[in-house]
Amino acid sequence: MTLLSVEEVTRRYRLPRQALWSPPPVLTAVDAASFTLEAGRTLGVVGESGSGKSTLARMVMGFERPDAGRILFDGQDLAALPPSALRRLRPRFQMVFQDPYGSLDPRRTVGWSIAEPLRAAGAEERGKVAEALDHVGLRPADAAKYPHEFSGGQRQRVAIARAIVTRPALLVADEAVSALDMSVQAQILNLLMDLQDELGLAILFISHDLAVVSSICDHVLVLEHGKTVEQGAVAQIMRSPGTEYTKSLLQAGGLL
Amino acid sequence: MIEAAALTVDMGAGQAVREASFVIAPGDRIGIVGESGCGKTMLGLALMGMVPDAGHVSGSLMIDGIQMVGAGEVTWQRLRARRVAMIFQEPMAALNPIKRVGETVMEPMMVHLGLGRDAARARALELFREVGIPDPEARLRQFPHEISGGQRQRVLIALALACDPGVLIADEPTTALDANVALRVTQLLVGLAARRTMGLVFISHDLAAVARATERVMVMYGGDIVERGATDEVLAQPRHPYTRGLLSARPSSGNMRATGGRRGRLPTIPGSVPPLAELAPGCRFAGRCPVELKVCNGARPPRQGNMICHRAEEGA
Repeated sequence: MTLLSVEEVTRRYRLPRQALWSPPPVLTAVDAASFTLEAGRTLGVVGESGSGKSTLARMVMGFERPDAGRILFDGQDLAALPPSALRRLRPRFQMVFQDPYGSLDPRRTVGWSIAEPLRAAGAEERGKVAEALDHVGLRPADAAKYPHEFSGGQRQRVAIARAIVTRPALLVADEAVSALDMSVQAQILNLLMDLQDELGLAILFISHDLAVVSSICDHVLVLEHGKTVEQGAVAQIMRSPGTEYTKSLLQAGGLL
Repeated sequence: MIEAAALTVDMGAGQAVREASFVIAPGDRIGIVGESGCGKTMLGLALMGMVPDAGHVSGSLMIDGIQMVGAGEVTWQRLRARRVAMIFQEPMAALNPIKRVGETVMEPMMVHLGLGRDAARARALELFREVGIPDPEARLRQFPHEISGGQRQRVLIALALACDPGVLIADEPTTALDANVALRVTQLLVGLAARRTMGLVFISHDLAAVARATERVMVMYGGDIVERGATDEVLAQPRHPYTRGLLSARPSSGNMRATGGRRGRLPTIPGSVPPLAELAPGCRFAGRCPVELKVCNGARPPRQGNMICHRAEEGA
């Protein structure tokens, strides 16, 4: 079943004017990107900084509207939904960011932060925070602790607990393991795969690291300056990259 | 030339670096790998005389023939930047946001080398060219926020090279960068070490970068150098259980271990690096080690050849 369908999506930004009378230059951050993501599957989006991968993530999350094209989540066009309907849909798709320290309120217990999406959705909280902590390999008692009491890897577990507490169908992970040590990275990648198996999550996995993508994703989309230069099965692209850009990403990651 | 013998950094709560011994000769390129909290950065700071106040340094550290353990700040100031220089983590935090980057690079030359403004400026320009910054004249006048992450890292390298150091310590120089940019920065550091016959200490948890940048490597866990050797050999045939764990946790499709009908998972080292106060008294890796013996938790493992491990004789 197709959960997420991105159709010819384009997003442009107006840059600061360079001369008073000339029109401001326009940057096309994402240029006619298309893909579909099935329920329970993982799609990787790879590219360098500035390739448009985070812009794509923000559009999928409904934080930004595309200038052209449509994003259908469960058949509903995100940009066409009124804000109240988007809010109602929010518990079904959640996001994990690169820096868990920046995305957790340092003055609130992690239990409070994990319950945030439930409160936003007006849902019952009892028991769900403990359950989410259990899912990510932390103890229910950890809910009373503050973010600084955790290591980097544990904080990312907390961020994942918050993202899954509403039992979403889609998780958007933007560089979710990039800041972690290699050994912790492996633990978090395994956790994401476990959660996917248990909860049937679909994951949109955004990363600059093709090695990481190859370990967790079925399919991959390669972005360069907003343009999709290649997409297909990970194994296929790793074996025979179709563009010089993909090849350079593989080489840089020590994979070729 | 740096010679460390039983160099130890005691933080009160525990030893962040325990009896590290090694030599860095001109032109040597040495990697230090390990997880966060294993003492890599603290070792780098010890080589710069910049251990936090709470820390106590003991053992021996000779820099160009001068004993630096117990040396005062005045002695260190004469050596820092000229003999040893460091590129710190987080390029954005290491540059003054309200200063033009040219000024930042000129400052150490005016302070340490006594150069005048014009001479310092000329040399800054030369350094920007050497580290491959395009349009260097314009760059000198820019502020840190106006330049990209990769260029910022090059500015920091130029800054570290300002006083022509004999040894350059690079702490996670590629961690915050895209793979392609990281590759170019690594190549730049290797080239600089060769051209200037400068020692390079490359601290990183990125094994691919360490493989490219260094000839020798030291693997640190819990403040101990648990394994060392030629980079190629250690990465191809790791012997210490910790090194093996680190290498096998590297994400890649070829590394996955499938179990019981599920799709593959990555091998991991169970648990995480404990805080200093909770480190095992014997082998630091005890508690997370897959091949642990009874003796491991109590007695300190002997150093045998290139390894500190109770099972070194059996080849772990």
